[in-house]
Amino acid sequence: MTTATPQQPVLRLQNLTRVHGSGATEVHALRGIDLDVHPGELVAVMGPSGSGKSTLLTIAGGLDSPTSGRVIVEDTDITAASPKELAALRRRSIGYVFQDYNLIPALTAAENVALPRELDGVSARKARAEALAALAEMDLGHLAERFPDEMSGGQQQRVAIARALVGDRRLVLADEPTGALDSETGESVLALLRSRCDAGAAGVLVTHEPRFAAWADRVVFLRDGSVVDQTVRSEADSLLTGRAAQR
Amino acid sequence: MTTWFHSWRAAVRIARRDAWRSKGRSFLVLAMIALPILGVSAFAVTIRSSELTTEQQLERSIGAADARFTDGHVEGEPLLQDPKGEQSAPVKEYEKTNEPWPDGPTDVTKAIPAGATVLTDARGSAKLTTTHGLLQAEVRELKAADPVARGIMVLTEGRFPEKNDEVAASTAFLKSSGLTIGSTLTARGFDREYRITGAYELPSSLKTEQVNALPGAFLAPYGSAVEKAGIPKPGVDTTYLVRKSGGFTWNDVQTVNTKGVVVQARAVILDPPADSEVPLFQREGWAPWESSAAADAVALAAIGTVVGLAMLEITLLAGPAFAVGARRSRRQLGLVGANGGARSHIRAIVLSGGLVIGVAAAVVGTVLALLLTLALRPLLEEYLGARFGGFTVRPLELLGIAGLAVLTGLLSAIVPAITASRTTVLASLTGRRGVRRSSRVLPVVGLVAFVIGAVIALYGSVVTDQFIVVAGGSALAELGVVALTPALVGLFGRSGRWLPLSPRLALRDAVRNRGRTAPAVAAVLAAVAGTVAVATYTASTDAQSRQGYHPKLPHGAVAAIVTEEGGRDAPAVREAVQRSFPVDMRADVSRISVGRQGCGTWGEGKGCGRFEVVTPPANECPLWTATPDGSDPSERFTKEQRRKLQEEDWRCQSRTGDGVYVEGNMLVADATVLKVLGITDPGAAKALAEGKIVSFSKALIDKNGAVGIRLITDDEAYEKAAQERKPLPGEIKSFPAYLVPGSPPSYGVESVLSPAAAKAAGLSTVPMGAYFTTDHLPSTEQRQKLAGEIAKLGSSVDVTLEEGYVSKYSIVLLALTVFAGLVTIGAAGIATGLAQADAEADLKTLSAVGAPLRVRRTLSGFQCGVVAAMGVVLGSAAGILPAVGLRFTEQRQELAFYQRALDEGWGGIQEPPSVPIVVPWETLAALLVAVPLGAALLAALVTRSRGALARRAAH
Repeated sequence: MTTATPQQPVLRLQNLTRVHGSGATEVHALRGIDLDVHPGELVAVMGPSGSGKSTLLTIAGGLDSPTSGRVIVEDTDITAASPKELAALRRRSIGYVFQDYNLIPALTAAENVALPRELDGVSARKARAEALAALAEMDLGHLAERFPDEMSGGQQQRVAIARALVGDRRLVLADEPTGALDSETGESVLALLRSRCDAGAAGVLVTHEPRFAAWADRVVFLRDGSVVDQTVRSEADSLLTGRAAQR
Repeated sequence: MTTWFHSWRAAVRIARRDAWRSKGRSFLVLAMIALPILGVSAFAVTIRSSELTTEQQLERSIGAADARFTDGHVEGEPLLQDPKGEQSAPVKEYEKTNEPWPDGPTDVTKAIPAGATVLTDARGSAKLTTTHGLLQAEVRELKAADPVARGIMVLTEGRFPEKNDEVAASTAFLKSSGLTIGSTLTARGFDREYRITGAYELPSSLKTEQVNALPGAFLAPYGSAVEKAGIPKPGVDTTYLVRKSGGFTWNDVQTVNTKGVVVQARAVILDPPADSEVPLFQREGWAPWESSAAADAVALAAIGTVVGLAMLEITLLAGPAFAVGARRSRRQLGLVGANGGARSHIRAIVLSGGLVIGVAAAVVGTVLALLLTLALRPLLEEYLGARFGGFTVRPLELLGIAGLAVLTGLLSAIVPAITASRTTVLASLTGRRGVRRSSRVLPVVGLVAFVIGAVIALYGSVVTDQFIVVAGGSALAELGVVALTPALVGLFGRSGRWLPLSPRLALRDAVRNRGRTAPAVAAVLAAVAGTVAVATYTASTDAQSRQGYHPKLPHGAVAAIVTEEGGRDAPAVREAVQRSFPVDMRADVSRISVGRQGCGTWGEGKGCGRFEVVTPPANECPLWTATPDGSDPSERFTKEQRRKLQEEDWRCQSRTGDGVYVEGNMLVADATVLKVLGITDPGAAKALAEGKIVSFSKALIDKNGAVGIRLITDDEAYEKAAQERKPLPGEIKSFPAYLVPGSPPSYGVESVLSPAAAKAAGLSTVPMGAYFTTDHLPSTEQRQKLAGEIAKLGSSVDVTLEEGYVSKYSIVLLALTVFAGLVTIGAAGIATGLAQADAEADLKTLSAVGAPLRVRRTLSGFQCGVVAAMGVVLGSAAGILPAVGLRFTEQRQELAFYQRALDEGWGGIQEPPSVPIVVPWETLAALLVAVPLGAALLAALVTRSRGALARRAAH
């Protein structure tokens, strides 16, 4: 059985380093990062620009490869996987949500959500049924037939979250999902993400808004590619206030 | 169930919606692919529809009859025929005994079996009066309303004639005569009048001007009337439509053949006997013609090459458009990647773009072709001159043609698809650009193809005289250059250092992004190379024609020669020319007539004879003088002797050169004609006035200084004596001769005799027309006026106007230049669109550092110009070479022919061939300078100078 039990983390980063360029142009984006994300857990990654937040997320999803270290998703070491296996992994295990323009403009909301399943070779009818179910579960059923340019930014982001979790996918990697939204809409998007995690998914949220990080179970602070601090939810509020004051 | 085609469905869906979202680009590509498909499909449907079934063919030729009986013209001798009744030969093999074929009519009615229904179908011609003048038209006597004739003539209006003073007319006749139903029709020199009662069509010959009358109602009385006027009556060709219960079998046909009659039998044509049962086919030289497999293969290869090159050209043009699409939707492809799309999925999406457009183009092209053919059917039928048998659609054929559209779409999208799939997801998502390396294999393959092709072409032009070798080698080399384009484009990059900012940026950008520049440059290259090759070849051929041009008259002179019987129209024709053209001098000319007055030229007609100007035997070239035993006279000489004779003996030189063709190369005219012909020798006019014959050819003058004219009254006896090499019959009139010194050009005229001298010698003459000089060349209006006046006379007149060499090719060169120009601008435009899609970031940087707004315009203009310029420079270079190669091959061919003609003593060749090679500088200049400039200006004009700064990468 390969499915992770509640105790086993869905995502494991072990001693992850990433170096861009070489020689004079060498940049250490990540230096020895260790991080586990369990089912039902939402982890926020915070840090100033250039601290390595986005690099962490792209490596966790297999879009980029680490210079050293291991990335284990649902018991699979993706650092050793071929591009084809990585693509399959993104179809079946990992969902991405970016800052904006997450949806494919040529497809309706339902088709966008069904896309990973269809790419996986599932019949269009079945994929659509799953997509509609996923949308309905998140109260987005009324958006199913709309094209992205017929939806608001918040609606688009929520549909993107639905897509990130369609099928058996249990890992959402969200890179500033609220960056292009006003704060109220941002809250509602985060609320949805939180509820999906409460329902059993594992989430990694990159943000620099302390307000949004408050939705997380754990906050990881990065600076110059290293984890400088970690805090669990109970401490999060006080810690965040402190950090915010320092800035 | 998870299968690969489910993921393809998603890809096709994305591609379909994307194509719809960017309508302009999709429409452009669709039109590019659909247009040729439309043309080819419409052509296929038209060809298929115009092909008739055997039944339809029979209905149109013999109506509802079982057979058509035709006189075999062998005086009733037994004959052999082919099953279709198209070929026949007498049973006796006359050629083996050197006897002439019997050549006379027989009574066909005697061959028609008793009890059969018979309709006569007689055809003749008459000069009919129209609202404009006279019109020589066919008159057909056939009871068209009879059930047996049904299908031969299709009534479109009114009715067929029922009385002897009624006729029906073909729609073509009504159109050109200006007459209508109810009009009265009559003929020249004929006192009867006919009323037109109906209009009809000959379904397979819509353009025939024909009048239908009842049997015996027109042709016989008209013939008598014409004959009474002293003119030979027109010939009448009578055939018989026969209906017999049971029809005619092949055995029946062969029985009828014994009476010298040819049969076109329905049953035999529908179910022809085996070739072995056809005695005619067993004879040597009569076997049925079959197309050779080799010729078919060559034709197929030629079609394949054309289709292949057209597809390559479209692919090269459409490819960048798909690349633009892929580049514009980079973010979208990145999202697909982030959601688990593998490289194959990305490839599938871009490739689906080609598939979607290809399928749409196939559907649009095919449907439009069908609709257009259907809508334009009447026009097409009129144009082809025949009604279609039906609207024939061969689905498999159309499917095949449509398949080419799909294939072209897919091929166009292949390279962009591969390029897009190689981009990493991260690069797509972040919009990071990198210089994509172009393939290293392609230039090597291209170089190899170029070298091999060039060697083949070189071999073809230097060693063999086979066009196909040169053409094939050139095509291969050309493809090689196309493949080499990315590497060649790289070479241009070095020249950019000294250029100002915008062109430097454009050039560097084009060179750095060879992946998108190369296809556009290659498209331009291919089109320009083809154009330059054809243009160079055409210009060279044109120069050769100009060199080899022999005027038929002095510049600006006109000859109007009436070729019809009797010369009765000659005075009217002379007047017509004088009225219509700016005539300066007019010289009336006549010809000697032998036999009855009113005879035609060359002794045609009963009781008519002809004349010839005698060449004394001593003046004949020994190479061509008939030998007593009938062997080839040139066989008596060695190669060297033949060469020597042709090069040095005056008797073997060509005598008159080109000119207006007149009977016996002789004119009966006064001294004016000498002036018109540009003969300035005063002795000639004087000699003519003295009653001498003025000769331009030494060969006509015998040892006594005289020229003889033989009057041949009995042509048959003359031919027989000539064949048997006996003394030729016919009285000879001899005239003292004057040889015009210095052998000036005489334009086909060998001798001139004054009318007075002819009369004095008892020769009768008939007016033939006139020669004219003009003040200036007649204008188009004047020429049209003359054509109209002559058409009114209904006479057959040959008008020759000497206006010097007129190039037939200038319009070809212009059309080619326009074509290449359009392709160049199109391809460069597409490439510019692509460059602009890429250059957004650069432009932002530029405006951030304070570049003026116009930089965006100038940059796009230069980008377009750079692509166009690279394409035309490479294309021009690549195009001139094959044309030069072809010309070398032609030179070898012509030189070989010339040497052989000299060796064998064929004669008629004055000088060694000259095969000039001319570079069409105007075309080249237009392509090299005007087209890139135009493309650049156009691109600059249509580019907005202010870019949407907030444009998002997603769209």
